[in-house]
Amino acid sequence: MRILFINNLGAGFADYVSIEEGTTIEKFFKSKMQGEQTADYLIRVNRQPIPREYVLKDGDRITITPVKIEGAAC
Amino acid sequence: MRDVTDNEIGGFGITEAEDLLFVTDVVLVKQKVTCVTISFEDESVADFFEDQVEAGRQPEQFARLWLHTHPGDSPEPSGTDESTFARVFGSCDWAIMFIVAQNGSTFARLRFNAGPGGEVKIPVCVDYSYEFDAADFEVWKEQYKANVIEDHTFSLTGRSKKDSKKQEDELEMFGGNVFEETSVFSSHDLLGEIDSMEPMEREIFMEELSVRSDFWDESEVIYE
Repeated sequence: MRILFINNLGAGFADYVSIEEGTTIEKFFKSKMQGEQTADYLIRVNRQPIPREYVLKDGDRITITPVKIEGAAC
Repeated sequence: MRDVTDNEIGGFGITEAEDLLFVTDVVLVKQKVTCVTISFEDESVADFFEDQVEAGRQPEQFARLWLHTHPGDSPEPSGTDESTFARVFGSCDWAIMFIVAQNGSTFARLRFNAGPGGEVKIPVCVDYSYEFDAADFEVWKEQYKANVIEDHTFSLTGRSKKDSKKQEDELEMFGGNVFEETSVFSSHDLLGEIDSMEPMEREIFMEELSVRSDFWDESEVIYE
């Protein structure tokens, strides 16, 4: 089963990856974003927020992007 | 974008695959801005990533150059800037924080994780040896209106007459009343406003007040 995975960690990634049937989004995050906290990212599947127990389907598009990008002038 | 508002504005730099330091476009995401702060909307950042991938780009072409303006004369990064750069971009193989101040001065720092890792300031210039299209103010206007939400929390007295004239001139370019006049706060309003701020917001605000006399129109008497 293949899904499209988009994230900016390391070299960045936007390509298809193969996963096992029955993989949840939580398991996928742990395997691909080792050492990272889910609270630091917005995790979406097919542009929609999903529960952690969501089971990935063939052709899904997973986007994991950083949150709280903010700046200040002083 | 820097000149159209006294608020901060931010976005991401877009580059070609063969030259990742040559910025060919700047894309805004939805953001809430004040004259001293900027905050990207998380959903909009995710949309931006997906849109760019659909356009055929890789993250290294669209998600490594974090750009924003400083309304004052200093492009030096603040503690918040440094914190965001470390937290959001620190795990990337490389990334650049770029800041342009109102007076045109710039700051750019490349951070990289290859080998022992490190960071270095890098020069910034406009490369006129490449052809580029004329500025499309209409597109800029649409991008600004579609993405930027101005928060006037810190704009206590509005702007000086000189700045108001500048705003009118800018409106010629951007159209629409995106620079609404802010009202003069009473002392009661002011104290209430400060009281309702988050601690960090209040600290930034007080620091800004202490160094930016342009917050206060000297011809006006606010407290009587």
